[in-house]
Amino acid sequence: MTPRRLDGLAAWLDARLPDPQRFDGDGRGPRTAARVGVWLGVAFGLAFVTGLYSHLAQLPSPPVPLPTAPAWSYRVTQGVHVAAGTAAVPLLLVKLWSVYPRLFARPPRPARALVLHLLERASIGLLVGAAVFQVVTGLANSAQWYPWSFGFVGAHGAVGWVAAGALVVHVGVKLPVIRVALAEPADDPGPEPAGRTRPSRRTLLRATWASAGLAVVATTATGLPGLRRVAVLAVRSGEGPQGVPVNRTALAAGVADLVRDEGWRLTVTGPSGSRSLTLAELQGMSQRAASLPIACVEGWSASARWTGVPVRELATLVGWTGSHDVVVRSMQTRGAYRESRLPAGFVADPDTLLALTLAGEPLHPDHGYPCRLIAPARPGVLQTKWVHRLEVVPA
Amino acid sequence: MRAARLALGALGLALLATGAVWLLRLPLPQLAAVGGWVAGGIVVHDGVLVPLVLLGGALVGPRLGRRGRGAVLRLVVLVGPLTLVAVPVLGRFGAKADNPTLLDTPAVPGYVVIVLGAAVASGVAARRASRSAHGRGEEGR
Repeated sequence: MTPRRLDGLAAWLDARLPDPQRFDGDGRGPRTAARVGVWLGVAFGLAFVTGLYSHLAQLPSPPVPLPTAPAWSYRVTQGVHVAAGTAAVPLLLVKLWSVYPRLFARPPRPARALVLHLLERASIGLLVGAAVFQVVTGLANSAQWYPWSFGFVGAHGAVGWVAAGALVVHVGVKLPVIRVALAEPADDPGPEPAGRTRPSRRTLLRATWASAGLAVVATTATGLPGLRRVAVLAVRSGEGPQGVPVNRTALAAGVADLVRDEGWRLTVTGPSGSRSLTLAELQGMSQRAASLPIACVEGWSASARWTGVPVRELATLVGWTGSHDVVVRSMQTRGAYRESRLPAGFVADPDTLLALTLAGEPLHPDHGYPCRLIAPARPGVLQTKWVHRLEVVPA
Repeated sequence: MRAARLALGALGLALLATGAVWLLRLPLPQLAAVGGWVAGGIVVHDGVLVPLVLLGGALVGPRLGRRGRGAVLRLVVLVGPLTLVAVPVLGRFGAKADNPTLLDTPAVPGYVVIVLGAAVASGVAARRASRSAHGRGEEGR
């Protein structure tokens, strides 16, 4: 395109796009954006850090050994992750509304200013796109709704880094504006102009904080005592067989028939050979009880009383020395989570059980009958169900 | 401040670079799909959602007095984002016949109760605010 035609196009667009000055100014601008932005930054920061922790916890061999105590660490961090992401929705929407007229700001003419302008636009486009992507995919994943063709974990994790990076760049770019805006009062002091009919900025801000609180309580309070019934928009009520919800049923995992097989044996292999154990033999070993939560990235968790054989006892039968990991394999023949690797530190924890009972009864088929892994501070998807094989392997 | 801004810029670029590395680990068709969803989020938000909200405000705003505007603003801010958050739960798109423990809350009646409660709270708050601001005045409009 020739420069002349470019100029013509620019003039054509200029005549048709709204002028940023013509938007209703009340309630908008840096004083709103900075105040909402601070809390949006806190929400995104919490979601980013807790999300990274979850990715770390789901690595087969984390680069740094993760602690097994407190047992509720994964439960709390992932509850915070979903609550922060949910609170971010009203904050993000109000924040973007408050700066929306700037979408129509005309680019400056001088080349240097134009380049900076375009770079800033690109970073904001990335920030908006990544932020919307994160809340949309996160909320849909909580409800096990996957209307897309990419893998959730990889995409949500990668775009999380992008959102965090674009956010930090944006704060750096806007720092002078933010400082001035936060130093000013939310609303101009003194009596309001007569005949003013628009709500004040303070009203908008208070409604925004209330909206964030309402969204969190209505959707994610199931994990909080006393608030379970209030969370009517949660993805789960918290009910389920033996008092625990189910993420993946025996039917969905394709093991509904396998779990009824009388010939089931647990095979344990390791440096000093292998052992094959019947369910009766497992039940005959010394049992240990532990109250441990099942906690999923989807923002639900449920604490329950489990009994079973410590994995460490079973691993010791085949030569576990304390420095080996244990690979736990399910009877599932497909699915990304049909096996998991238990780092040595988790094997050593006596509360890491090959559980045989839940709430005093044999495991419900959907909870992993005949036996499942349950370990403290571990992502729910790695608490492998319908176990038939333990392999003691070098860490 | 200059040092702080430079540090933030450098940290942000490092985070973005890490994001790029993670993205490039995705198979190409998945990467394209992620790009499409990211771009789609911008288009739907900037091109559909905000214009609809602005249009609604332009249509409804001039017909209301101060108190009415205050009530509607509070209600929209309270219930609008909540409605978007609740779409996967209200729509039950991820429901599975073999798993009754998923999406098992009384979401629709619960949502209606929340909206009604938010409407009442918004009205009461707007009434209180306009009384304390003016003592008397434009509430009746």
